[in-house]
Parts: sequence; structure tokens; C-alpha cells
Amino acid sequence: MYEEFDLETPAQLEDALRVLSDSRGGTPLAGGTNLIVDMRAGRERPERIVTLGNIGELRGIATGDGRTRIGSMTTVSDLLRAPEIARDAPSLVDAAKLFAGQMVRNTATLGGNIACGSPAADLVPPLMSLDAEITLAGTSGMRTLPLADYFRGYKQDVREAGELIVDIAWNRLPTKSVNTFYKLARRRGDAITVTGLAVTLCVAKGRCARARIALGAVSPTVIRARKAEAMLEGKVLDAELIDATAGQAARECSPIDDLRASAEYRRHAVRVLTRRLVSTAWYTLV
Amino acid sequence: MPNEKTIILRVNGRDDEVHVPSHRTLLEALRTSGHMDVKCGCEKGDCGACAVLVDGLAVDSCLTLAWTCEGKEITTVAGLGTTENPHPLQTAFKDLGAAQCGFCTPGMIMAAKCMLDDNPDPSEEDVRMGLAGNLCRCTGYTKIFDAVLEAATVMRKEGGPS
Amino acid sequence: MSALDQQVQPAGNVRFSQVGKPLPRTDAAGKVFGKTPFAGDYVMPGMLHMRVVRADIASARLVRLNVEKARALDGVVCILAGSDLPDRTAATDIPGQTGQKRLDTGQQILVKERVRYFGEPLALVAATTRDIADRAHDLVTFELEPLPGVYDPLEALKPGAPVVQGANNVVAERRIRKGDAATALAKADVVVENTYRTPFQEHAFLEPEVGLAWVDDNEVVNIRVCTQVIEHFRAIADAIGVPHNKVRIRGSLVGGGFGGKEDVTVETYLALMALHTGRPVRLEYSREDSFVGHGKRHPFILRYRTGITRDGKICGMDVDMISDAGAYVFLSPYVLLYAAVAAPGPYRVDDLNVYARAVATNNMFSSAFRGFGGVQACVAYEQQMDEAAKAIGMDRIEFRRRNFLKTGEPISTGFVPPSAIWTEQCTNMAWEALGAPAEPSDGPVRIGRGIAAYQQSYGRLTFLHDTSEAWVGVEVDGTVIVRSGVTDIGAGQTSALGQIAVETLGVTLDDVVIYNSDSAVTPLAGTTTATRALYMTGNATRQAAEAVRARFAERVAKEFGVRPDEIDMAFNTVFVIDNPEKSMPFVDLVKLCAADGIHRSELAIFRAPFSDILDPETGQGQAHPDYVYGAHAVEVSVDAETGEVRVLKSVAAHDVGQCINPAAVEGQVEGGTQNGQGYALSEEMLYEQGRLVTPTFSEYLMPTAMDMPRVESILLESRSGIGPFGAKGIGEPAMTPVAPAIANAIADAIGVRIFEMPITPERIVSALQEQRAAE
Repeated sequence: MYEEFDLETPAQLEDALRVLSDSRGGTPLAGGTNLIVDMRAGRERPERIVTLGNIGELRGIATGDGRTRIGSMTTVSDLLRAPEIARDAPSLVDAAKLFAGQMVRNTATLGGNIACGSPAADLVPPLMSLDAEITLAGTSGMRTLPLADYFRGYKQDVREAGELIVDIAWNRLPTKSVNTFYKLARRRGDAITVTGLAVTLCVAKGRCARARIALGAVSPTVIRARKAEAMLEGKVLDAELIDATAGQAARECSPIDDLRASAEYRRHAVRVLTRRLVSTAWYTLV
Repeated sequence: MPNEKTIILRVNGRDDEVHVPSHRTLLEALRTSGHMDVKCGCEKGDCGACAVLVDGLAVDSCLTLAWTCEGKEITTVAGLGTTENPHPLQTAFKDLGAAQCGFCTPGMIMAAKCMLDDNPDPSEEDVRMGLAGNLCRCTGYTKIFDAVLEAATVMRKEGGPS
Repeated sequence: MSALDQQVQPAGNVRFSQVGKPLPRTDAAGKVFGKTPFAGDYVMPGMLHMRVVRADIASARLVRLNVEKARALDGVVCILAGSDLPDRTAATDIPGQTGQKRLDTGQQILVKERVRYFGEPLALVAATTRDIADRAHDLVTFELEPLPGVYDPLEALKPGAPVVQGANNVVAERRIRKGDAATALAKADVVVENTYRTPFQEHAFLEPEVGLAWVDDNEVVNIRVCTQVIEHFRAIADAIGVPHNKVRIRGSLVGGGFGGKEDVTVETYLALMALHTGRPVRLEYSREDSFVGHGKRHPFILRYRTGITRDGKICGMDVDMISDAGAYVFLSPYVLLYAAVAAPGPYRVDDLNVYARAVATNNMFSSAFRGFGGVQACVAYEQQMDEAAKAIGMDRIEFRRRNFLKTGEPISTGFVPPSAIWTEQCTNMAWEALGAPAEPSDGPVRIGRGIAAYQQSYGRLTFLHDTSEAWVGVEVDGTVIVRSGVTDIGAGQTSALGQIAVETLGVTLDDVVIYNSDSAVTPLAGTTTATRALYMTGNATRQAAEAVRARFAERVAKEFGVRPDEIDMAFNTVFVIDNPEKSMPFVDLVKLCAADGIHRSELAIFRAPFSDILDPETGQGQAHPDYVYGAHAVEVSVDAETGEVRVLKSVAAHDVGQCINPAAVEGQVEGGTQNGQGYALSEEMLYEQGRLVTPTFSEYLMPTAMDMPRVESILLESRSGIGPFGAKGIGEPAMTPVAPAIANAIADAIGVRIFEMPITPERIVSALQEQRAAE
């Protein structure tokens, strides 16, 4: 890596935003586990990098009023160490445990994983399955929107120039809930996901009160299988319905052939994993 | 005109003055200033050979910019212990045959150190998770598990992380 | 039962003070304290940094190379292209000590006109800093005119296919003909026919290829480099046009080789640039360079027809093998030979026909990789054994028992190995060690077990006149020095020599320093390849140490008034065996000998047995000095819905003859298991028209700590090997049976076999879907 750049090291969020929206602009640097790799490969050639690593206010986990909030510079290892996350977001823990290797987990951030825009970003399906909301900040202020509305296309999102991700938040799930994530990859340790599935199931009065199925690495972005979810909500689930739902989820994704797997296999995996995760969740709860 | 400045990297308790541009990785800066015990295996965070501790946290030095490490404590395997005063991890790796070609060993030991600092009584599964980002082609990992678990036992007896 | 078949004993030292003990290796401390200098850790003032510019398509004509912009960059010192080099090629043939006639296997050093594989070097850049070298590399542009290429050996065999090498792409052929296979197959009760396909494999050593070269005051080109073969100095000298004694290879401790540093890698480029610039030059391959910078494991297509009787005897075998040699010959003819010899496996097959061909393509050239053809053959013959057992409804282990080669029986070439053949004992012990079978579940996860037995040679091909030298000397203060050219690639090659020397001299491993791997200064020991280092250099070291010991024993015998054979030496003490009170410290004896002018050192040469090359029509004769036998058993779980495989248990049983250091032997077994597990399940090199699309460790997936189970090693010691103290070898055998054991376990779990590797989740799902559709 030999391309030169200026490095800005703001200590406050407002300084970072100001720098990012000045006439030169810049590329935010969070953990660097994607950006540095991209720079070495020549895929990114920033002239100015704004490191967020000194902005303490962006890092941390807070709970209160039945809501959990994670700052965008919180690392994957931070997530693994936090009892609140283990309690409130088991799917996020499932994803974090299998996320790359220890050194990358120590450095990679929640915000960076979302911002890289890859459909294989493992933290995104769990957050989507929790109906998480994402807060963005720019010089003109902050805005919050559902994470499900954040992605526009492959590696494209709704951020305006100079906007940064500030935090992710979600409301704690009701007591009778299961929230889980499965990562299917070509090896168990430190591998790019072939198919990632996050499922949330909430049961009330013996019926499925809420169903969320978030799919990773099988579409240009992480998506919710909304039609599949709708098949489950309000119903008493049985094997036949779960099967049909799994088939529907498989139809909602648009996977590609790549060096890791074929589209056909990915669709098959979505069907198999949807059936499995939904079944396991349902029969745990009832 | 290269965007260079002189920074102080505090490595293994000593100050190294290095004159480096903004794009210089910590891995390159360390090796250029003589810390050859930090190894380069892939330069893209896939193999863990370059792992060092920055303020006690194991990171891939190939993915870290040198400029962002000013004022931080950097520890490499040579700073963890010496022949006269070895760290239990080093003793265990040496005595149990956990180092074969030895190229992955520095990064492996630093990753293990950070993991044990966080979790002094790990299960074997915890050790596997902690070392998933450190590739080894020679050992098949079995003796590495033995060495890390042995070191953990010794460290617990000696009373806490060191 | 042969005299060699003594009672089976698990590993256990009975009569040694140093050998047979799991001592910390002599190189271990340096490695854990970060002191060991690897080849990339050497720097010299004023050194230049190099990059290699590579072709980005596989089959092309080089039309134009533009170096002007790069040359104009401040700090660029030299750029070399093919047009700057005289018409010498780099020999890629096997290095011999005695000048055996070589095959015509030259590769151009830099492309002059024809590009034959993706990544083939076009130019070398040298600059004052790494950044400038990188920048200059990116400023070199080139124009390649695509030429029709061929990327599949079966396509390359067709008439009219583009010719990559030779007249018709067939770069080597091997035949083995024993008895009358055709008749035997015709008479068989059942003939089982299958075709197995094995893939490319990348060595994936953690240390990429790297070196530093300079020209010294004697006009000798010095090359500090990580290599398995310091004897390459001859080929390098020829390539750069200097006498052989003007190239000095200073090998470092190697950060992994596995066969990938067996050929010349960076040396010639370094030497050329050092000569052209008159400055020290450093070249370190990036991981991406490494993936296209050295030869891969040969893909093989193995068609087996095995004739069996209903009572479980193999009565005939016909094998057709085709290997993908890639763009240059390199070691393809020898890999082919090993595969052909190994074709029937460790079984008695008197009616055998093997026809093997190595075929050139525009893929990356294939060359040496741990197992060297023996691994690929095992993938086929051990799966074939399971299939054959299934065909007659016999237990897989019982079927093997009925066919195992026994001690004193001839292998495929008619040669009778001189050592014990304990395949059956190893198979039984590995299988039993799997323990009670796991409870079957009613979910989608299925459990299966598999075993594979093997035969793998140790020592190089016997027609090569292989030799190895070692020097052992005792200092006046009783400390010991060993000097040998052997390269240490991580298995403890040097420490083993130390352990042998100190055992023989009756001192301890702390008392020895070993100098290795310098072609000008350490006696040449030959390659660290072919599972030969312990056998050849261990024997040479033992010989040298014995010679010194004999002189010492004679001197002290005089002192004590006994015969030399009544003396023993251990733990730094010399004593009379039947009267140990009569003793003296070793160092005192050394001083006595020094005072008397007794020669305290010895240079020994060990010679492997020599044979003619195998008969070209029948393949009969002796190919190797001896063979290792053993087995590997695994238990796996297969998720029948996702296709994911987990290896739950992994047990190896090998007769290694005699462990020099059991911890080091276990380490090799455990590491070989990782290589084999990755080969079987997750390591895949994908090419599109010869272009590599899996160029780094995030696409090419070797097993991580989360993927490997604990590996259990059962080490048997028949003490019948022809290495030091009856040792055989373990380097390659450790890997050979692993992949087929896993393949057999998967087939056992899901009831259907996948005939190609790696056995990915997707391939398993497809196979199960096809099976369901067929029902």
C-alpha cells in the first residue's frame, strides 16, 4: 500500500462531521479491517481519512426503558463481552462468535460492518431480525430509520455525503421469544458467509405474534423475507406451514453463483435453514 | 511529497522513533525499526501471523496504521518474555512442541495472551475461538491447544494475568 | 511370520538416553522468543527492494512491455525483462548430487515471447524502497495477445488441442505391468470401476517466499533464502551464467515448505538483480505472488478397475492415471512415477496394470507437494477398497485384512521392502481407537466412520544415487557441533540430527549446536524432500558421531584396561558397562583425546541403495529404498441438509520404525492431518481459463483451529527401518491417508460417494439430491 493520504483524528463526533463535510471530504476509518484491505488492493484510494477511533462517545452499549443501544464504534469483541447483548440479542452473539478471528473481532466495529454494505456482513441479519433502527448524523442533524430501510443496493446505502452511523438500537424482545442466527460457510473458523440466517419468533397466547427472517449473503443486500414472515404471524405453526414458509423465504432471495457457492445451493440453504431455525424456535416456545 | 512525520512507538517498554508516512502499517513500521519477531504472512488480516498487542489488545498489525498507535503500548512476542524470564506461554509452546516451523508462533502466542487475559480459565472450545484467526500449516493445532491450556493452568496458579 | 514382525509395541524408548524422548527441540526457544531469523528478517544497508511483474492471462504472446514510465520513477534502479536476459533457461528438473542426466524441463526465466500460465513472470523491478518498487510495478504495462489455451488435461490430450509442451502435451508416461491383469479381471467375480478426481492444492506455508542476495568480495553471489534445497546453487549458477562455486545459498530456518519451496522460487531473480545492480537486493513475495509463484499439487484423474472374488480377494487391477502437469514440466515425471508405484496401495496385487500420463496444460505448473503422487493414489485406492468391500457385502476392515501386503512380500514393482509391513496392526489400532460409535440421531446429522491405509516411500528414487553428508565434532570442553547442509523446514530436521549425535556421544541435547543449510560451508546433505532427511542425514550424522565415539572409546578403554566394546557413554559420563564405578566425565576424556591428537571430528557420507531406473515397459525393479505403512481413521458428522461436515475424531497409527523425538513425530502427524483434512473438505483452487480466482487465504480455505479436532497419534516402532536406530520417516506419510479416510467416512455417513475433492457441502447436497431422484 503506497498511496498517500491525510489523516484526521477528531476527538468529538461534531469535529468528524465537520471535516467529512468540508470541501475536501474524506473517508471514515472505523476498525480498518475492510478499508485497509481495500486500500491495499487498490479498490479504495482515499486522499483523506478521518479516523473515528478517538471518538469515545461513539463506543459503548447502553440499556434503559426496554431499549438497547450500541454505539457504532463498539467492537465485535465488546459485543461478546457484554451481558446485555447475551441477554437481549442472542443472534448477535451467535454472529459475533463466528466473526472472523480474534484480532479482527478486537478491531472491527458494528458501524463498520454495516457501512461496508456487504450482503455477507454477519452483524446485519441479527440486527434486522430485532427490528433495529439505525441513527445517522450529519452536519444538518441526526436521523433515525429502520435498518431494513438503510440498504439501497449492493454496497449502496442511504447515507448522504458526510453522514456517519452513530448507533443501532432496538426494543427488547418480549419474554416468550427466540432470537437466533446461523452462519453457513465453507469452514467453521474465520470464513466469509455463504448463507446467513437470523430468525426472531415471539409467541403470545399460543400463536406466533412476531416473525422475523433476515437473510444474509443471498441477495444484493441483507433482506427480510417479508412474505415468509407474514405467513407465520398470527398463526399456530405446524410442520407443513413451516415448510411452506421456508419455501417462500427461498423464493424471496436472489442469490448469485460465486466462488464460494452456486445460487441454487444458496436457495436450498435458505429453505433448509429457515425451516430448521423456525421449527427449533417454535418448539422451544410452545 | 510524502506525508511523513516522526512518531514515537512505544514497543516492549522502549520508545522507537520512526519517520513514516500516513499509509505505513504498524507491521511495516515495526519491522523497519528492527522488530523482526513480528511476521508478515498475508498483509490482509487473513492469517494472524502479524498479531501484536496494542494497549493489551491483540490486533493484526497489517491492518493497523502506524500513526494511530502513537501513545499506545505495543507488545510483541520478544517483549512478552525472554530466555531469562519467559512467559508461561513461551515455556509451554517450547516444551510441548507447539512450534514447528515457528512462523505463526509469534502471532499465535500474542493472540493466546490476549485471550487468556480476557478469559483465564478457557475451555478448549474457547481456545479454538480465540485462535481461529491464526492460521498454522505445520502443527494441526493440537499441541497449540495443549500449550495454551497448560500456560493457563500455570498462570492461574501464579495468580492472575501477567 | 517374518523375523521383522516382532511383537507390536506402542512407542516407548527402551535403551536410549536422548533418542526417543520428547525433548524440547534445539530450535524451539528461538522461535518462541521471537529470536529466530527467517529469510525475510535479514537486511543490508543500501539494499534494493524487488517486485515481479506477472502476466495476467494464461496463454498469450507478449507483444509489448512498457517499462519506460517505471524506469523514469525516482528511486527505480533497474528493470529487467526477458529481452535483457541471454537465452538461458532455468532448469526445473530434480537436483541431483551426481549429475544424473536431466530431462529437458527448462523454463524461461522471464517471458521472452510466450506466456504459458497465469502469473508467469514478465519483468523484475528493483528500487530503493518498497513503496517505490510497488509504484514502479504498477507503472509497468504490457500488451498480451491471447492465444488459444487448454485448461483440462483430457482436452489437452485431444488431437488438435493447443500444444503447451513437447509434441502432444504428454510430458511423461509410466507403465507398470505385473502378471496378467486383463485375464484376472475377466475371471473376477466382481469388477468395481470408478474414476476419482483430485484437485490442485496450495502449500500455504505461512512464510511467503523471500530472499536477500548480494555479491561478495569473492564475486560469489550470496543468496539468503528460505528453501528446501540448497543444492539449487548449481542450477542457479547455470541460469545466471557463472561457475557453480560462485553461487552460495545461505538457507534460513524455513517457515514451512511442504514441497512448495523444493523448486527454485526467488533465487534466480535475486541473483540476476544482484549481479546487474551490484547492490544487495531483497525480494519478498506477497501472498498473492506466492499463490501463483510456485507449483501446486498435481490434479489427478484416476480410473480404477478392481477385480475381486466373492470371498474378498483382489484378483486383478487396472489403473489409468492422468495428471495435470500444468505449463512446465518441473517434477511431473517423478510425481507420476510415485503415483504409479503407489497405485495398488499396501495390498497384494499380483496381476496389475498401470498406465499413467502427465499432461501439460496452461494451468499453473504442478510440482512437489507432500506425498508427491502417493497422496493422490491413496485417495483413489482407499476409496476403491471401500467400494469393493461394499460390492461384495463385506466389512471394510475385513476386506483390507484379506489383502494387506505382509512383511517380506513384493510391492507393485516386484521390490520387497526391507522393513516390517505393519499395515494391519496400524489399521486395527486406529480403528479401535475411535471407540464406541456415537449414538445415531434421528435428525439430519448423520455420523460416519472411515479408515484409510497406505504405503508411502521414504528416501528418494534409488536411481538418483542419493547421498547425504554430515560432520560431527567435539570441542575441547566437551560440547558438540554438527554441520550439515540439511534444510530445516519446521519438522525438527536439525534438532533430530542433534539428538542422534548426542545419543551416540553420550551427552545431552543442551550440549550441541547445529549449523545447517549453507552450500559453501556445511557438507551437502541433499534435499529436505521425499521423507529423506532423517533417513539420509540422520544416518550420515550417526555414522560421523559413531566414528568419533569409536576413537574416544578406544582411548578410554586403554585408560580403564578394558575392550572398547565394554565402554558406554551417557549423560556426559563415560563408563565401563559391567563396572559403572569405573567412569570419568566425558569432558575429561575429550581433554585426554585432544592432548593425544586424536581426531575429534568426522565427516561422513551416507549412500542410499542404488538401482537402475524401473523397466520402462513393466515398471519392475526398485524405485525407492523403503516404505512406511500405517493408517488413519476418522469419525465425521454430515449435516445431510446443509452438507456441512465436521470431523469429530481423528486417529492416526503409523509404524515410524523408531521415534527420534516422539513429540516431533506427533507434531508431524497432527500437521499432516490438517493438510489432509483441508484437501478433503475445504481447500479449493478455482481457475477460470487458467486465471486463479482464489488468490488469498480468504478464498482458499485451510482448516483453522475451529475446524480441526484433536488428533490422536499411535506411534508404532518396529525398529526395522533403514534410517538411524531403525527409523523410517513420517513427513509425507502423516498426510497420505487422511483425505481418503474422511471421504470414506462421509460415504459411510450418507450412503453415497462423492468422487471428487474437495468434498464441499454443495457437492454433498447435490449428491444426496441425485440419489433421491434416482430412487
